[in-house]
Amino acid sequence: MADRVAAVPRALLDRTMAPMVPATLFMVLLFIYPFLYGLLLSFTPQHGDWLANYRKFFTADNLWPTIWTTMRLALPVTLINVGLALPIAFKMRSKTRYQRFVTTVLVIPVSLGTVMIAEGMLTYFGPKGWLAQIVGVLHLYDGRIHLTHNYWGVMISLVISGFPFAFLLILSYITGIDPALARAAATLGAGRSAQFRHIYLPLLAPGLAMCFCLAFVQSFTVFPSAVLLGAPAGPTRVISIAAYEAAFEQYDYSLASAIAMVMGFVQLLVITVVLASRSLFYRGPAVGGKG
Amino acid sequence: MNRDFRQIRLEGVTRRFSDAGRAAFNAVSGLTLTIERGEFIALLGPSGCGKSTALNLVAGLLPLSDGSIWLDDERIDALPPEKRGFGMVFQNYALFPHMSVVRNIDFGLRMRGMPAAEIRRRVADVLKMVQLIGQENKLPGQLSGGQQQRVAIARAIVIQPPLVLMDEPLSNLDAKLRLETRSEIRRIHRDLARTTIYVTHDQEEALSLADRIIVMIDGVVQQIGTPQEVYSQPANLAVATFMGYRNLLELDVERSDGERVTLTGPDVRLTGTRKLPLPDGRAWVAMRPEEMMVGDGAGSANTIAVRVDAVEYCGRDSLLDLRTASGHRLHVRATGDYAAGTQVHVHVPVERALVYPQA
Repeated sequence: MADRVAAVPRALLDRTMAPMVPATLFMVLLFIYPFLYGLLLSFTPQHGDWLANYRKFFTADNLWPTIWTTMRLALPVTLINVGLALPIAFKMRSKTRYQRFVTTVLVIPVSLGTVMIAEGMLTYFGPKGWLAQIVGVLHLYDGRIHLTHNYWGVMISLVISGFPFAFLLILSYITGIDPALARAAATLGAGRSAQFRHIYLPLLAPGLAMCFCLAFVQSFTVFPSAVLLGAPAGPTRVISIAAYEAAFEQYDYSLASAIAMVMGFVQLLVITVVLASRSLFYRGPAVGGKG
Repeated sequence: MNRDFRQIRLEGVTRRFSDAGRAAFNAVSGLTLTIERGEFIALLGPSGCGKSTALNLVAGLLPLSDGSIWLDDERIDALPPEKRGFGMVFQNYALFPHMSVVRNIDFGLRMRGMPAAEIRRRVADVLKMVQLIGQENKLPGQLSGGQQQRVAIARAIVIQPPLVLMDEPLSNLDAKLRLETRSEIRRIHRDLARTTIYVTHDQEEALSLADRIIVMIDGVVQQIGTPQEVYSQPANLAVATFMGYRNLLELDVERSDGERVTLTGPDVRLTGTRKLPLPDGRAWVAMRPEEMMVGDGAGSANTIAVRVDAVEYCGRDSLLDLRTASGHRLHVRATGDYAAGTQVHVHVPVERALVYPQA
């Protein structure tokens, strides 16, 4: 019995655990502590009982709808990014002459910040921008083109900045699938679309779920483009803008923390649902034998 | 696809590869061959000789650069693989990792839209044939290498293809399993009599399985013949070298009398048999280590004096590493005790010393 008690601390002090220390410290200092701090802060409102902030969020007309405003942006953007990236990455899976060129062009937006993209879009898509002028000169469309300072502006900028991540992620998943599997399916009578449905899609499903989660979190936390390209007082008043206003315009850090907690919870909910669906699919290595 | 075919013909089948910045080369060059229904053909050659490329061309996984492939009177080389309906066993098996054994095997039948009852009947038959009863619902990752191999074979034959293509199917198995699976493949071929093209670099596999062997070197067919012909009468020096004629001596032609040729070197005088016309001057003699014997030949003909350099004990016999006075190296299989450094004589029958012109 005494041996057993002694064994526990020895296991904890095991030398092989030493490399874990920096990462653990990093997590504690930069993630767990701020998170717990924010969580506690959200339960200590300036006025009222401990749930006052949450009650306020879910009753105030300018707060709870921000969840839907954000969702209305984030879900379509995520679906577009993953949905566009999948066929393009599938086309780019084998080495062709154009593969490197196309991949480079598609990935360039990664190197641009959201603010840079927003600036560029204001010049290009604005009412007096190049696009409007070209369309006007060519008389393709004589109405006014509204692609900035509204929902569409934010959406386009989120697609521009989010697509390369989705594309690179899916490309790496696809190239990890042994091409011999598709060849084997072909010899067994599967045409191109059947190969995609029966071989690639099921093997990609877990990766697509992961990609969906990352793309969703990325667009759900949108802030700069919602302010610069959207209508931050109306249709693109996303949840992060609500949190920002609470913190830096009303100086109510406690309410801002509560909003941030709600934001985190909604993301967690979506991610949980998507990742739980992964268990429906095969998740082992995507090669077909001892190779 | 026509299942009552009589023969498959390959006519001048060629595949050129051209990498950017490098000269184009022919991986397969002018492969012409007629395969009768039910035949077991082995495509034999060293690594990189183009035999797998040839198989992929027949399967439709690679387009031809030149030539044509015919199933009786139907030209099939422009058809995509899914329209040819040939069963293929891949070197790394290429089993679908997310499908159970049964789903892997019935994949081809499902793609053909076969009724469920017929699928069940055929899968049950083939499972029995490859002895995988009880493993139906496992994923490939849960099977041993040998079982995976049998799933791959079952998946290829269950669609009852006119032609079965096998790409080095045994190369990932250990020695014991390789022998077992080899007899399995032979048994299945005997039972079903399916036309088969079997690619291998292992001459023993080719000799034991095939009705006919095609020896390919550097993309070019060197010899087409029965296992006996390829083994004992290689068509040229390159085939002889590949088929295990390890003892190669370059000598001067002294006298030629029909098929009999006598050649001489500094300390060797040999009479051998030729199949190809010899130009005057020098020629090569090729001999197998297991067809040479220690001791003097009848009347001391075809006898070579050598010194034992090293002895490799192999169990049933030993492989002697020998050297003539002028430095020619020879290998001979022999039973009995030999010590390194001793002087011995070896000899070879006239008909087992094969003489070839210079390559």
